[in-house]
Amino acid sequence: MDSLIAAAARALAVGDALGALKRVALREDPPALALRGIAMAQLGEHPRARELLRRAARGFGSHEALARARCVVAEAEVALAMRDLRGSPRLLSAAADALEARADRANALHARLIAVRRLLLLGRLDEAAAALDRLDARGMPPPLAAVAEMAAAEVALRSLRTAQAQAALARAFDAAERAAVPALLAEVTEARAAVDRPAARRIDAGHEQVLRLDEVEALLASGALVVDACRRGLRAGREWRSLARRPVLFALARALAEAWPGDVDRNALIARAFRARRPDESHRARLRVEIGRLRALVTKLARIEASARGFALAPRGKRDVVVLVPPIDGDQASLLALLADGAPWSTSALALALGASQRTVQRALVQLETEGRVRSIGRARARRWLSPPLAGFTTILLLPAALPPG
Amino acid sequence: MTRTRTKTDETKSQPPARAAAIVREYGPFAGADVIHGVSHDGRRVWAATGPKLVAFDPESGQIARTLECAGDAGTAFDGTHLYQIVEGRIDKIDPATGDVVASIPAPGKGGDSGLTWAEGSLWVGQYRDRKIHRIDPETGAILRTIESNRFVTGVTWVDGEMWHGTWEGDESEIRRIDPETGTVLERLEMPRGTGVSGLESDGENLFYCGGGPSGKVRAVRRPKGDKR
Repeated sequence: MDSLIAAAARALAVGDALGALKRVALREDPPALALRGIAMAQLGEHPRARELLRRAARGFGSHEALARARCVVAEAEVALAMRDLRGSPRLLSAAADALEARADRANALHARLIAVRRLLLLGRLDEAAAALDRLDARGMPPPLAAVAEMAAAEVALRSLRTAQAQAALARAFDAAERAAVPALLAEVTEARAAVDRPAARRIDAGHEQVLRLDEVEALLASGALVVDACRRGLRAGREWRSLARRPVLFALARALAEAWPGDVDRNALIARAFRARRPDESHRARLRVEIGRLRALVTKLARIEASARGFALAPRGKRDVVVLVPPIDGDQASLLALLADGAPWSTSALALALGASQRTVQRALVQLETEGRVRSIGRARARRWLSPPLAGFTTILLLPAALPPG
Repeated sequence: MTRTRTKTDETKSQPPARAAAIVREYGPFAGADVIHGVSHDGRRVWAATGPKLVAFDPESGQIARTLECAGDAGTAFDGTHLYQIVEGRIDKIDPATGDVVASIPAPGKGGDSGLTWAEGSLWVGQYRDRKIHRIDPETGAILRTIESNRFVTGVTWVDGEMWHGTWEGDESEIRRIDPETGTVLERLEMPRGTGVSGLESDGENLFYCGGGPSGKVRAVRRPKGDKR
């Protein structure tokens, strides 16, 4: 490379982004554009950085595949920091292949991790997990190892495998310490703290108790019949019945579980499930129908027995019945609990699960979005809601050395 | 621009390339992860590593001297002083003290790569512009310009032969060119992924080549006797 590019890279290496810019500010050749792009990204000027990196990638000749691939990877990382997920994953994957073919393993891994983070942001957890499994992590540089472990922790956490998540976070912490990137260390520390925060409350026999995520996991593994108001469903051991799309059935199940081992009066059930103050014969008929449906759905987990004044829940086997609810009360808390699975939800699915109107859910979501507690992807009908990622990854621009060799 | 030039380059008839014979590798040296330029003062090999200049003994490979002088591209030696490209200028350095005794503007205004001393002049490579300039070492004035058809990453003279290093994308060579016309006379091909940043002859049968981000300096045998 030439002398000013080398001088600018020397400035960047010691964190002097402005010094680097000063040296190549007026140059339009591809290596200078790439360096300007990286410096701008480090200064937080993401849209400008992206444009410069794109122009740099286009400017490199066909024989400069390595330099071009590095620009593509840097641009993808800037796009990720901007939460712009529209870019082509194929372009990134081709760049990763090109880097691998030229023995630039670190940048190839970097490219693959950007793809994984993109999948996580899109809520495609299974694909992210599969892509992580395919990574060859041997000899990974510490900053990349930290990012990979954070991604693994996120996948584990969303699937409620807390011990795995904590182990991955511990490895991420070690790697971040070795990497000595302060922003990275801060994100891992924050993620570890998040795992220890209250995740839910358990209610049984009128008692309430706050649970951390690992305690939730232990409860679910205990074999008790859990009526889970966070994820809207019933669980006993490995059996899981989602009632997210059946709000009336879920309301009935929850009312029965809260009264267990006692029974619940018909009118009370009607009030809970149908929100009817003055029940009449038609409500009672409808209750019989809905109880019949619930009975059929949960038959493997529990029986629903009729009593003189109403109905009672009777779990199969010698199980306790526990109700799990979000850590705090309110519609917003319920929304957040639903989104905690990391999957993308549509507004209508959320409204259905909560038994609320779409308008109400929409209002709550907008409020939460301005507070940064939920985020959305897509527009109009294709819009989906997700919980924010465990780690922001926003501050971490590891940007490859997008420089041509020389 | 790049594309059309490459095309003419491919159609030009060139002498067949031979594999470069790498005799020995030095480095990476502590605290230096890049080599930007190399020179030879008759005993030791000098290398510009970014924030500083290092001199090592080619026999032992041990660092003999370190100067706190920045270096971003080519390095040269005129028998008394070192010349070093830094940003957009060329510093003249006293190797005994590390003091910069004079500075002249580099002809490529920072697009420079590759420097050597010969016949009372400095010869400077201009990287992506594929040029080599002969300049006045006192004023920096351009005396004449040779056009190459490849990126120039190092220049050296030995026995009246002009050689330059090139590195474009994955391909890197050490080439002998006709200093009048720029015609390529001889090509030594570096192994894939091994680039040349900085080139200097030891005046005998070796070239020292900077290895860019590998942080290594490589000794390559200079072919002789079988010059067609």
